[in-house]
Amino acid sequence: MLRESSRLEGRPVDLQVITAGDKVEGGVPAERELVAFAESAIGYDADATRQARDQLVATIGEQGMVDAACIIANFQRMVRIADATGIPLDKPVAMITAGIREELGINSYGAAGNTAPVQGFSRLLGKFLNRIVPLIFRRMAKKQAN
Amino acid sequence: MNHFDYTAVEYDIRPDLPEAYRKVWEKIALPGNWWSGADRVAIAAETRAAQTCELCKERKAALSPFSIEGLHDTSTNLQPIAVDAVHRVVTDVSRLTENWLSECVEQGLSHEQYIELLGIVVAVVSIDAFHRALGIDPELLPEPESGEPSRYRPATAKEGDAWVATIAASVADGDEADLYDGMRQTGNVLLAMSLVPDSVRLLHTLSAVQYLKARDVMNPSRNGGRHISRAQMELLAGRISALSDCFY
Repeated sequence: MLRESSRLEGRPVDLQVITAGDKVEGGVPAERELVAFAESAIGYDADATRQARDQLVATIGEQGMVDAACIIANFQRMVRIADATGIPLDKPVAMITAGIREELGINSYGAAGNTAPVQGFSRLLGKFLNRIVPLIFRRMAKKQAN
Repeated sequence: MNHFDYTAVEYDIRPDLPEAYRKVWEKIALPGNWWSGADRVAIAAETRAAQTCELCKERKAALSPFSIEGLHDTSTNLQPIAVDAVHRVVTDVSRLTENWLSECVEQGLSHEQYIELLGIVVAVVSIDAFHRALGIDPELLPEPESGEPSRYRPATAKEGDAWVATIAASVADGDEADLYDGMRQTGNVLLAMSLVPDSVRLLHTLSAVQYLKARDVMNPSRNGGRHISRAQMELLAGRISALSDCFY
């Protein structure tokens, strides 16, 4: 969704920012402040969180910071649901993201074993879908705008 | 007591957030499908106790979380297997396995109890995380309501790809018709909790205010009218997932 949303916003990102954090420049506006806020908040470091929060408010404003806190909170819930129930990745998502997951190294995460490796025809289909998915999302966005 | 009163907080917080959080607190206090109100509030209390539990710290640092035995720093009278499940979900969820869950079942924790417990844990984790991010003290837990659990198990829940039975979106009707907002296809993470439908509803209550309504999630041009873009939202989502070693 980061890849697709950033494409729609006209600023394709370097997805390595997800695993590498502030070591790479992803291309998302205010990403340094957002990543610092997420990292400090999940690390239970109250001083670092306050500092990151202040910097984020200075960059994107108070309401944006509160919305960022919501996403940080939301995904601490979602990751636990996914890992505690052993759900596999949804099949289309698994096919489309096979290459990205390899590039980002997330196939080494513990719960990766819950999703079957994407091979053979599924792999080819995933590559094909990868080409048409942005078109589908562009159409969805256009439809919504009208 | 007026829970989630943010009037003294230094930041302007959208009113839909405390409204949703209050709803979640009210639900936690009530008897559920498989736990009493007192048990449910105890699960919430254990969620917080896990964060400072010495055994959990030791396990987290160990090569295998199943190699360390011991007693948790507990704050309730909840049965030990439930305490262990809560603490592991809070502190080391990415290393849980299906075998571990099978052992929990052997020790008396049913799949239904586990999913309801999980729903409470993740709700408290996320609301506490919101507070921590904003530098707000954790909210006092609600007072439990009396009553018996309903023991409702949806007939349409079937074994599938998850460790527990789930309700496929294509068969969610009758009492469960609202579960996936009328969508005939949905993400596995929503299905995951459907063995206890009220846990999915609790999840929707929080997701709709903290992230997006379920219907908007798969449309990357939607940002729910927030003050950050969808790409900024997804950057945070991805970074939190990576920091949590979450593959999903």
